[in-house]
Amino acid sequence: MQHIRNFSIIAHVDHGKSTLADRLIQICGGLTQREMQAQVLDSMALERERGITIKAQAVTLLYKANDGVEYQLNFIDTPGHVDFSYEVSRSLFACEGALLVVDAAQGVEAQSVANCYTAIEQGLEVLPVINKIDLPSADPEKVIKEIEEIIGIGASDAVRVSAKTGEGVVDLLEELVLKIPPPKGDPDAPLQALIVDSWFDNYVGVVSLVRVVNGRLRKGEKMRIMSTGRSHGADRLGRFSPKAVVVEQLGAGEVGFVIAGIKDIDGAPVGDTITHDARPCAQALPGFKQVQPRVFAGLFPVNADDYEAFRDALQKLKLNDSALHYEPEVSTALGFGFRCGFLGLLHMDIVQERLEREYNLDLITSAPTVVYEVALTDGSVAFVDNPSKLPPSAELAEVREPIITANILLPPEHIGAVLQLCTEKRGVQKKMQYLGSQVSLQYELPLADVVLDFFDRLKSVSRGFASFDYEFNRFQAAPLVKLDVLINGDRVDALSVIVHRDNAYFRGRELVDKMQELIPRQMFEVAVQAAIGGNVVARATVKALRKNVLAKCYGGDISRKRKLLEKQKEGKKRMKQVGQVEIPQEAFLAVLKLGKK
Amino acid sequence: MIDVQEGNDERHNRLVVPPLAIYVHLPWCVRKCPYCDFNSHAINGEVPEQRYIEALIQDLQLQAPGVSGRLVGSVFIGGGTPSLFTPAAIARLLEAIRGQLDCGGMEVTMEANPGAIEHGRFAEYRAAGINRVSLGGQSFNATHLQALGRIHQAGETVKAAEELHAAGLENFNIDLMYGLPGQSPQQALDDLRTAMTLSPAHLSHYQLTLEPGTAFFHRPPALPDDDMCWDMQQRCQALLAENGYHQYEISAYAPPSRRCQHNLNYWQFGDYVGLGAGAHGKISSAGAHGEITSAGARSDAPPAADSLRIQRTTHPRLPRRYMEAIESGQGQPEVRVVTDRERPFEFMLNALRLMQGFTVEQFETRTGLQARGIIEPIEAAVAKGLLEPAPGPGWRPTPLGHRFLNDLQMMFLAPPPVAEPNPN
Repeated sequence: MQHIRNFSIIAHVDHGKSTLADRLIQICGGLTQREMQAQVLDSMALERERGITIKAQAVTLLYKANDGVEYQLNFIDTPGHVDFSYEVSRSLFACEGALLVVDAAQGVEAQSVANCYTAIEQGLEVLPVINKIDLPSADPEKVIKEIEEIIGIGASDAVRVSAKTGEGVVDLLEELVLKIPPPKGDPDAPLQALIVDSWFDNYVGVVSLVRVVNGRLRKGEKMRIMSTGRSHGADRLGRFSPKAVVVEQLGAGEVGFVIAGIKDIDGAPVGDTITHDARPCAQALPGFKQVQPRVFAGLFPVNADDYEAFRDALQKLKLNDSALHYEPEVSTALGFGFRCGFLGLLHMDIVQERLEREYNLDLITSAPTVVYEVALTDGSVAFVDNPSKLPPSAELAEVREPIITANILLPPEHIGAVLQLCTEKRGVQKKMQYLGSQVSLQYELPLADVVLDFFDRLKSVSRGFASFDYEFNRFQAAPLVKLDVLINGDRVDALSVIVHRDNAYFRGRELVDKMQELIPRQMFEVAVQAAIGGNVVARATVKALRKNVLAKCYGGDISRKRKLLEKQKEGKKRMKQVGQVEIPQEAFLAVLKLGKK
Repeated sequence: MIDVQEGNDERHNRLVVPPLAIYVHLPWCVRKCPYCDFNSHAINGEVPEQRYIEALIQDLQLQAPGVSGRLVGSVFIGGGTPSLFTPAAIARLLEAIRGQLDCGGMEVTMEANPGAIEHGRFAEYRAAGINRVSLGGQSFNATHLQALGRIHQAGETVKAAEELHAAGLENFNIDLMYGLPGQSPQQALDDLRTAMTLSPAHLSHYQLTLEPGTAFFHRPPALPDDDMCWDMQQRCQALLAENGYHQYEISAYAPPSRRCQHNLNYWQFGDYVGLGAGAHGKISSAGAHGEITSAGARSDAPPAADSLRIQRTTHPRLPRRYMEAIESGQGQPEVRVVTDRERPFEFMLNALRLMQGFTVEQFETRTGLQARGIIEPIEAAVAKGLLEPAPGPGWRPTPLGHRFLNDLQMMFLAPPPVAEPNPN
């Protein structure tokens, strides 16, 4: 156990974490040159395309250090985006140390600050690493100063590397072995293994990534999942090198995977504890705190027949994405689907894409919304995660919206634009500090305005230099109203949004104009209205189509005409019917596209 | 609300073969027009008139046994530009048709392009047996004719019409297009007025559409927008009606006695023999009772009491291929059987183009199916205001149904077939 090192890497998106991980794998001989594929750890196609890590992954490497000893390095990869800070804290549970990787040219970013604090709180040894020293614009001294000023940890002896060229990476490995403490734990105590992650494999069932804290698990032993109380045979144990390598046992301090023939997708929940059936431990490990989803949206299968498949897919995704919440929802416009809760818009995007790609589902999403706390006139309090479920105004005493505390780091030259953006988003400034070459801003912002497009806007007004992290603060009363969209007089439940009264007219206008653009001309005129209660605040008209008829048809080839009409019919089938009006799916996402010209 | 007679067995066991027509395709043109998606080929040197007519006659001999004993109601010689063929060649063709098949006092139409007809020829065509002519006038505006790539001048259409009258061929049609590049509603009306001064028996008035496989489709010209085309259509239709040209089909206008019998046969889902390169035919015949109409095809509807077999025939599109096939004894057209599930749509694709719609009797005799099998889409179409009951009894599109005919017709498309379980 003295020769085991469990660590993860904390880094902002683009700061080179995946490249560094690849370099570590290569130096430790985890893969042959031929097997090396850029950024091997981001195994989901989606991750590689977006250049971000979504799910934690683990890899075990063997490194022969200068002291002549071969160390087992268990590297647990972590996601870098603000939406996934929960995943980060989970990965950190399995580690004794973390590498804080900072781009030598860009400096510290807000997300890394937050994750770094999580690591320190969890008692991890944090090693600062300055990456990308090969860049002409690299300024390691400035970055070291920033780490010390903004995060408050000593960084004068930070390792300087270039993951790209490999420079300094061996020094980093030496430093890692030296400074990160070996795991503690009693190999002879009853087994306690923490389920760090679980996912569903169609062939073998549930695969769980575990960190053995105490005791050891051998192949073939009867093990018990503590929350369910059910026992299973540990059929297969292994490690990722990053290829899956089967082992006979996993000892205290080690990280690896367990396959126990669990076919029930709730059979091995993340954060649960595995123990021995014959000699169970006294109590479960603390596990992870449940995260609260902040953003909700209705997801509906385009084809109603896919409902069951959709439910099945959500169950499987939920297994290793405990932040994903869902419950059945029925929409008059979109039919049967699920109300899903997400950590943020990126999380929502990624879940939707995974459902479409990995489960081959065609989905349509209603406008995303945050959760509101509403006080009713009868004195009760309720939470509303669906605008169409907001009680009528007569029953409402108060509507309270979630307020977040946002920490933003940015170079001083963009301060004007960022302050303006925060004001526009109804932000209240709490703090402003010049630290090193960056400005640190703290704002309180309504989450509803943040989920919409804040992140994208922040990146664009700061030319990509501002970084941002947030945490939930409180619910706060605000003059909020429900804005409905009516199509030829029929209210479309999936298009309702809750907005600040001051923005209602503007949002109504924008929404109606966007719908007018997206709804194709039909046999009759289509009136699109935005209304607050019975009060119409904006209106637009989709003019009637004049005709849809083939000019000529004689005795010739009819197959092309048939195909043309079949195609038209297929197009209609993909639309959603509201009253007599056919609405294309993109229209339901119109709310998301507002303000993005 | 739907008044469809329950089929009684006696009625459904009687096989009524639809009327028969003959379509002859002469595929050459002086030049290919940029909007034309018909099977036409620019002449490369001389039209091989002799050889092609011989091929047509052999083609006829091959197909005649399939329709023996049936009376031919009309012949239509289309193209291409049929007027590139000499009156003698046309005479020889028509003689052969009369010799092979049972022909009465039938309508015999030939298409002619104003720029491709020699002076004095109409009388000769009439002598050859042509009694109706369709002139490809398209427009009388020099700019628009040029934009359409037409080889003729407005004056030539006028002259051709005068010659038709002089030759005693008063039963002629003029094709006109609207919605042309840069055309104003006033110009569209002017075209119609000029056409009507020539006293045609029939006017075909089409909106120019960009069809796949044409030069216009690949490089679209700037056309008047939908609203302007609609304005043109309404004003033109009013002008046509004022002058006695009553709309009887989406693009066809004539007094009731002057309707084109040949085209009516298409729209009433009649039969036709297709002769020539790329020509399509449709032939109904008695199938064995209870016969499955094509391999693997299965109807979800209750089996028709009659077993009417409907087949569509096709010839090779390229004239050279067609002639070689015929000459080498491989001239039988390719045959495709129209399955039960395809028939309602194919019938409606044609019948609903007519203002008068269709009768239940027509539907049942022409498709061999019982009308109760299409009650569902009919009721849905009525509910949408696209279809209404008509005398007959039958059904006809409402004015809205005619404007949105595609939406109406697609309601009769069969749902995709249910996947057959794999027998293995």
